[in-house]
Amino acid sequence: MTMLATKTSPMIISMGPQHPSMHGVLRLIVTLDGEDVIDCEPVLGYLHRGMEKIAENRTVIQYLPYVTRWDYLATMFTEAVTVNAPEKLTNIQVPKRASYIRIIMLELSRIASHLLWLGPFMADIGAQTPFFYILREREMIYDLFEAATGMRMMHNFFRIGGVAVDLPYGWVDKCLDFCDYFLPKIDEYEKLITRNPIFLKRVEGIGIIGREEAINWGLSGPMLRASGVKWDLRKVDHYECYDELDWQIQWQIGGDSLARYLVRIGEMRESVKIIQQALKIIPGGPFENLEARRLHRGKNSEWNDFEYQFISKKPSPTFKLPKQEHYIRAEAPKGELGIFLIGDDSVFPWRWKIRPPGFINLQILPQLVKGMKLADIMTILGSVDIIMGEVDR
Amino acid sequence: MLDTSTKNTDEIRGRLSVWLAKKKLAHRPLGFDYQGVETLQIRSEDWLSIAVALYVYGFNYLRSQCAYDVAPGGLLASVYHFTKVQDDADQPEEVCIKVFVSRQNPKIPSIFWIWKSADFQERESYDMLGITHESHPRLKRILMPDSWIGWPLRKDYIVPDFYELQDAY
Repeated sequence: MTMLATKTSPMIISMGPQHPSMHGVLRLIVTLDGEDVIDCEPVLGYLHRGMEKIAENRTVIQYLPYVTRWDYLATMFTEAVTVNAPEKLTNIQVPKRASYIRIIMLELSRIASHLLWLGPFMADIGAQTPFFYILREREMIYDLFEAATGMRMMHNFFRIGGVAVDLPYGWVDKCLDFCDYFLPKIDEYEKLITRNPIFLKRVEGIGIIGREEAINWGLSGPMLRASGVKWDLRKVDHYECYDELDWQIQWQIGGDSLARYLVRIGEMRESVKIIQQALKIIPGGPFENLEARRLHRGKNSEWNDFEYQFISKKPSPTFKLPKQEHYIRAEAPKGELGIFLIGDDSVFPWRWKIRPPGFINLQILPQLVKGMKLADIMTILGSVDIIMGEVDR
Repeated sequence: MLDTSTKNTDEIRGRLSVWLAKKKLAHRPLGFDYQGVETLQIRSEDWLSIAVALYVYGFNYLRSQCAYDVAPGGLLASVYHFTKVQDDADQPEEVCIKVFVSRQNPKIPSIFWIWKSADFQERESYDMLGITHESHPRLKRILMPDSWIGWPLRKDYIVPDFYELQDAY
């Protein structure tokens, strides 16, 4: 029997930076043997703006408006960690109410980020419909942000020692309304997606990361938790006031793209739970507009003591950082967002290292796509959840 | 430059330092950082063997590697933050390792083969500060263009063609 043997040399394709499923400006140089991926090399830097260098001659106040451009889908987290690092370096206490406002904002931001992960992820593997649904819900979160901070994406809301302003009148009710509206919507997504056979064929067993491997590659966030590690910095580090609320770490043992999807869906539910509890026990009462009440009561009102001194927080523009150093992190939706900060007894930091979760999580990509089909690159890359703004900084 | 003797260091000595001393591994305690994380200085030539020892000790997670310029014209430093990742962890042990190298010949062994997460980060510290991580599989620029000259995050770096607004008259 004669066989027609065609020997083709591998084809090298440059995927991106303009490719729509590259989530921004990632470029992958992919070596293909037919449909099979032999090799893959990510090329970064198309969105590099030198943010660490820029931080070295900005005060924290000057730098704050810029940090939302790291991870522009989870903006609150970048602000939170930018504020936390100098705060902890100078032992500044945060009032309870401000801390609660912070975690409410952070969890809303986490939901927004996971939503805008879900839509493009589904679009990457061929299901365009969820994109429209997630944008509908995300709009509402951004409306809430707009009402509280004045901006929809780049809010510049966190301040050293608190937040910029108190929640406006009616905001807490609106936020609770959103939670009530959103929980059934997650069920709706799940009904549409989770058991869909086409979806399962695309994600089950694709991009499997083992537990040891995940730890060794330094993965964090849903990537790590989907590989069976119960590790959430909100529980590990006990920062802000997450300890006072009842919620669970979401984790899966699958380690594949499906597990990462399930972790993120679960995290959205947990975030709603956190927000609902936080809104109920936020100090200063569930009804808001403390600012008006404070003015009404005068100087000696209880709304004027330390616990409520976050309103219109205006830190000094010449806020000095002591000659100390430390590494501060927060659990961002994509993983561990860290700052290694070295103070220099001056208003500028000596070194401002950003440890972006996307940058670290992306490292494992070449290993995951090797030996898979070309179409699986989108699934795997989508499930990693990168944002080039923070990968390239 | 590096004093590995034990005198006068007992009061700033952390758990890992005691353990390393017991194993007769050369290091120098630098005290604790502002969060109380033990900081050790390791010589570049000892780093690889001590890195393996750290892995054996239980630090399975390299959470961040970065480099900085200690002083203009001075030494360069590579900083490693390790922790132990396990289920339901509650503030597990952390350690911060610093390796100082000269600016003229900055060479540090790569720990990529122990902790894979050093891959991009070591490339970044090569890209930004010019530290050569020996035996790294793909040591080349990562964020800056391949053709870039100079090490942008060094304090004595001069931005090419920088346009000062005050020169605009």
